Amino acid sequence: MKNQSLFRRLLARPEFGPLVLLLVEIIVFTAINPRFLSPMNISNTLTFTVELGLIALAMTLLMTAGEFDLSVGSVFGFTPVLMWTLFNAEVLPLEFAFITAIFIGAMIGLVNGLFVTLLKIPSFLVTLGMLLVVRGTALFMTSGFPQRTWGAKGNWLTEFLVGDFYIGSFRVYASLFWFVFAALVLWFILNKSKAGNWIQASGGNANAARARGVNVNKTKIWLFMLCSSMAALAGVISSIRTSAANPNSGTGYELEVIAMVVIGGTVLTGGRGTIIGTVLGVLILRIMRNGIVLVGVPGLAYSIFIGSIILGMMALHSWLERRHNSGT
Amino acid sequence: MAKELIRMKNIKKYYGKVQALNGVDLTVNESEIVGLLGDNGAGKSTLIKVLSGAIPVTSGEIYVRGKEIKMNSTTDAINAGIETIYQDSALVTELSIARNLFLGREPEIGSGLFKRMDIEKMNEVASELLREVGISKNIPPSTPIAALSGGERQAVAIARAMHFESDLIILDEPTNNLGVAETRGVLNFVRGARKSGHSCIFIAHNIHHVFQVVDRIIVMRRGSVVVDDIDPKNSTVEAVERVITGMDETV
Ligand SMILES: Nc1ncnc2c1ncn2[C@@H]1O[C@H](COP(=O)(O)OP(=O)(O)OP(=O)(O)O)[C@@H](O)[C@H]1O
Ligand SMILES: [Mg+2]
Repeated sequence: MKNQSLFRRLLARPEFGPLVLLLVEIIVFTAINPRFLSPMNISNTLTFTVELGLIALAMTLLMTAGEFDLSVGSVFGFTPVLMWTLFNAEVLPLEFAFITAIFIGAMIGLVNGLFVTLLKIPSFLVTLGMLLVVRGTALFMTSGFPQRTWGAKGNWLTEFLVGDFYIGSFRVYASLFWFVFAALVLWFILNKSKAGNWIQASGGNANAARARGVNVNKTKIWLFMLCSSMAALAGVISSIRTSAANPNSGTGYELEVIAMVVIGGTVLTGGRGTIIGTVLGVLILRIMRNGIVLVGVPGLAYSIFIGSIILGMMALHSWLERRHNSGT
Repeated sequence: MAKELIRMKNIKKYYGKVQALNGVDLTVNESEIVGLLGDNGAGKSTLIKVLSGAIPVTSGEIYVRGKEIKMNSTTDAINAGIETIYQDSALVTELSIARNLFLGREPEIGSGLFKRMDIEKMNEVASELLREVGISKNIPPSTPIAALSGGERQAVAIARAMHFESDLIILDEPTNNLGVAETRGVLNFVRGARKSGHSCIFIAHNIHHVFQVVDRIIVMRRGSVVVDDIDPKNSTVEAVERVITGMDETV
């Protein structure tokens, strides 16, 4: 009896579906190609994971508050271009160029937030517009050419952000720790803090939240700023790791990030969000990308799998939801 | 003489060119339950939205305990001790009972970076309150509102108003869509509220419900108060109905 109720409680959690899917994925890929679990492959997968993952974590809070941000991919491309241009042109030392890039990222989020909350324009339209403006700026600024980044080799900041080291035969990038750290902090905020209660209430029923004196607009604006700053940080990390700041990088990331978040069990319409689910969602998509190549499926087929996962997960979530509501 | 809690003076409200309230005067005393009646479109909801800061007033003044208060937002009203309970919109269905009860006023423990909601205390107080408002079934405070019935939701909203010591609790059609038992529950809460010294404005179309709990009935018609001193003990449902529809000018 006791076990059954524990199992039921587990089943009722939004993270249950994604967890099972992740395990299935790992088992299937390992069965087909045991190299999947090699240290080298794991560390490769994790490396790519954290950059999109940082954005997905912030997006989880924003989506829980009932909004989303399509401009993160372009911010991911633009802010490192800005940082390296400032640095390469010797306008600013690297540290200040970095702070400027993150600050500009936050300002982009501020503008998104103000348009959405004060002008009451849906976030879909606001951030779509912002996506084009930011991407256009990056392309115009660089005439479409990548910025070089090797001038800063060995700088303490780049080491701090993405320096790599070995644990046994695992190659670990510092950015992995930033991802874990961000996940812990945002989990705490969403589930344990007052702000988390406001975030969920803003997305669940904004009018009720307002009636209780919760500043819904301010909450949302902060989250837009968080989301853009995270996208900026992720972009900078990526540019250092790949030694290139390409004005086109990050194209399409917004959709992949949103997919990660909803696969994890966060609701697109707001009110309910889960950081644990997002971490699972991030891993599911990244492992899928890595795994299908490893087992010999052409990489071009990747989107088919992602699309199927999204559709399957949404069907599962809605089924569980209905089951739950009908009281069984 | 009962002490005056709320006085609304010459309240006017235009929606664009539509005049919804044309100079309403209304008072509510301490520990008094007032029934606000009127046909559809009479202006009842508009009046209490003005009082609860949900919509801006066009002109007029609101006094709480003799002091003028500008109700620019719902926060102003809550701070002045005025709590409004709507049928559906007052709660966040995704959040638990406890989280809803304390929304906007979450107790915290810890300090600095580790400051967090005191969820234990929230659950404890919530359980207590649920018992107080008479939710008899054993519903844990961590239950999401989505899993509650309409009456239980009302009870949660009322419990919240009582816990935060609101002086005036406004209920706009709280018995709509409720079953017999749940309606009785809501009416009991209102009686309980008066006993513990709270005042209420109770809006409902079912005059029988109003008669069961209120001390005084106010009738509105087309944006004006037509009678404000009907004592349900010395009147009948039929007489009040005639005032509401305009067949009689007074009871
Ligand atoms: N947002 C609005 N915009 C324009 N007119 C409105 C608005 N809200 C209400 N009105 C008008 O104001 C008048 C009063 O409406 P109100 O909602 O206060 O009536 P009510 O007494 O609460 O009616 P009911 O018993 O049907 O709830 C009506 O004529 C209505 O059409
Ligand atoms: Mg009404």
